[in-house]
Amino acid sequence: MGVFGEPMALRYLIWLLEGFAVTLLLSAAVSVAATGLGIAVCGLKLSGRRPLVILADTYVSIIRNTPLLVQLFFWYFGASALMPSGLMTWLNTPHVLDAVLVSLHWPAFETIAGFFGLTLYAGAYIAEEFRAGINGVDPAQRESAMALGLRPALVFWLVVLPQAVRIAWLPVVGQYLNTIKNTSLTMAIGLAELSYASRQVETETFLTFQAFGIATILYVAAVAVTEAAGHAVARSGRFAWATQRP
Amino acid sequence: MRRLFLLLIASFLASGAAHADRLDDIKQAGVLRVAAFDSNPPFGFVDPDSKQIVGLDVDYAKVLADKLGVKLELRPTNPANRIPLLTSGKVDLVLANFTITEERAKQLDFSIPYFSSGQQFLAKKGTLTSPDQLNGLRIGADKGTTNEIVLRRDFPKAVVVAFDDTPFAFTALRNGNVQAITQDGPKLVGLLANVPDRENYEIPPFTISDDYIGVGIPKGEKRLADVVNETLLELEASGKAAAIYDAWFGPNTKQPLPRLFKIGDKK
Repeated sequence: MGVFGEPMALRYLIWLLEGFAVTLLLSAAVSVAATGLGIAVCGLKLSGRRPLVILADTYVSIIRNTPLLVQLFFWYFGASALMPSGLMTWLNTPHVLDAVLVSLHWPAFETIAGFFGLTLYAGAYIAEEFRAGINGVDPAQRESAMALGLRPALVFWLVVLPQAVRIAWLPVVGQYLNTIKNTSLTMAIGLAELSYASRQVETETFLTFQAFGIATILYVAAVAVTEAAGHAVARSGRFAWATQRP
Repeated sequence: MRRLFLLLIASFLASGAAHADRLDDIKQAGVLRVAAFDSNPPFGFVDPDSKQIVGLDVDYAKVLADKLGVKLELRPTNPANRIPLLTSGKVDLVLANFTITEERAKQLDFSIPYFSSGQQFLAKKGTLTSPDQLNGLRIGADKGTTNEIVLRRDFPKAVVVAFDDTPFAFTALRNGNVQAITQDGPKLVGLLANVPDRENYEIPPFTISDDYIGVGIPKGEKRLADVVNETLLELEASGKAAAIYDAWFGPNTKQPLPRLFKIGDKK
């Protein structure tokens, strides 16, 4: 009997670690995709073209004003009911692509729906963080650059964007941290990430405290490492150079 | 001394003969007291029209009382009270969807099983016919159930997707996210009864694990147990057991479930 009570058999620890790996991979994939989506949506918002602005605003407000769990149910249970049954069959059958050294497994539908739902969710928030970053750049910066005779595109590229990225960076990292935690909701659609694995271990072993305790520690570790990395990037020379105020 | 010893033995024998067992008590009283469920259809529940307790368990209790030639007195019970009622002598038998377990068998005796409910599957028609196919399928289960554990243990290549509740699992089946869902047979039947397009689904006639239901008998009442077991076997032989089953789970009932288990299949 250690601090955690009765020790857990190795196979259950492996289940938890496999779940943790799924959580990390899913979080990373969602963060990358949501960053791209966020930039694109932010671009639409700043485009000044009315239909595009309305489109972006509608997307952001729908996503931000509904619970993530409901959105995940919608993509997994709701949207899949609307798709043609042939497509659903294809999505639900395992597909393996044998490359030279590795074989690539097409992910299960739970993974696709979870990835899609989380990306749309995080993308809306990240778009707003970027927009806030751009709006946060002092207007005098833009005006001075224009006065120097730079073309508007160069003003944006060389003067506004670097500063906006610096302003937005830590809030965006905050969204990455939220994404790590939000992946736990995908257990409701049967995605075997860390929370799903800890519940599964609990069901089989009745080691409730241990199962959820280990999951908690792994989440804390993932969040702490990501946060530290985000701050390290913010302090790094290159980032600081790019965003140095004159 | 020797005489005293003989006397002692004689008195023991006499007391043994005078102390009648439960079977004699029942016959003498003219009443068989049976604990049955009153809210667990179709095993034991209060019939809304007659206000009497009826059900599959009750039908068996009636047959046992008839066999003993006594009146049946039903005593409503719940899962937690079944063992105390029996061990305290308040009832003679328990017929209340009583699953036979080793733990319970330490406190009471069980008859041979007269009903079995097993872990079964619900799938779209024609997709699942034998347990061998399970290893290649994606199967929905309820989180935290033994169904989930058994499936993972016995069919390691099946992809088990656990959902919060049976309706979620069923939606996943409907949408094609899983090819089958698993639960206890009677529960699947109840689920299917409420599905609008139920003709598209089926419960393939096999189980992957079984719970056996027996009559609870007071510990050590050998003669009573013998009568119960003999009666159950007679019921199977005469076709009466099948008739009782069909009355509650037959094709014309609300919850048709094929009869996979026959009395005497398992001792």
